[in-house]
Amino acid sequence: MSASIDPECSEKKERYDTCFIKWYSEKYLRGESQTDECKDLFKEYQICLNKALKSKGIDAMIEEARKTSPNNDNAKHG
Amino acid sequence: MVKFYENAFSYDYQWPAVTLAYFLRYPNPYSTHVISTDTLASELDPVTGNLHLTRLHLKRGKLPASVARFLPKIKESYILEHSVVDVKNQRLETETRNLDWEGVLSVVESQVYTPSAERTTRDGKTDVQTIVRFESRLGSGKVVKDVEEKRGFFSNWTTGSVQRSIELVGVRRMREGLGRSREGMKVVLEQLRERGMVGV
Repeated sequence: MSASIDPECSEKKERYDTCFIKWYSEKYLRGESQTDECKDLFKEYQICLNKALKSKGIDAMIEEARKTSPNNDNAKHG
Repeated sequence: MVKFYENAFSYDYQWPAVTLAYFLRYPNPYSTHVISTDTLASELDPVTGNLHLTRLHLKRGKLPASVARFLPKIKESYILEHSVVDVKNQRLETETRNLDWEGVLSVVESQVYTPSAERTTRDGKTDVQTIVRFESRLGSGKVVKDVEEKRGFFSNWTTGSVQRSIELVGVRRMREGLGRSREGMKVVLEQLRERGMVGV
């Protein structure tokens, strides 16, 4: 698994990634799931990640990019 | 000024495996410049059943000397990736773009992964269409003004020629990078096959 931008979040990221890959390969790709089963782990990971993005000052840059993306899906689903 | 680079390629693996490899592609031996990957958003569209993922990659910058002399030192760069998996129609669309130094050189890579019509006896194949859009916006509007105010390093150059050389180097680097990312995907696909995950 790839590392997180902040080593502090790596453990939470790994737990989420493991859950996501299992759900994606065993359920989503087989058309067996209409719900994201890793939501709780994702939330925990995001709390850590958002703190890291803010402290690095890149949260605003990401927000701006997602708004102005050539692919409008970003704005819709961001 | 805008430049496009187009490419078509096929993987000797089935579509589900290739999409899984896409999300697992880092780390691999060809991606040592990728420092981190984080998921920013993951949403399952209740109507279409499509999965939307937004991720952020941090890469170590490796600018060639010919471009580096125009620009301040770029040590790291952020890449925003947005992908949509349409599992019903077996279609994966991805878009990656650089976040910092967008005003100097904006690179947007769009890819579409679909099952190949041509099938081998044992396994399916997956086609990948890639379009990369390069744009150097130096000299147009606010961004370059900011850059000039910061560094003043364009005073002796006509912005047109600088734009052109930045775009040319960008295209060349992209072609090399695309080859490496393909090799990286193949390594990950081989690992998935060894772990028995390819027949997903």
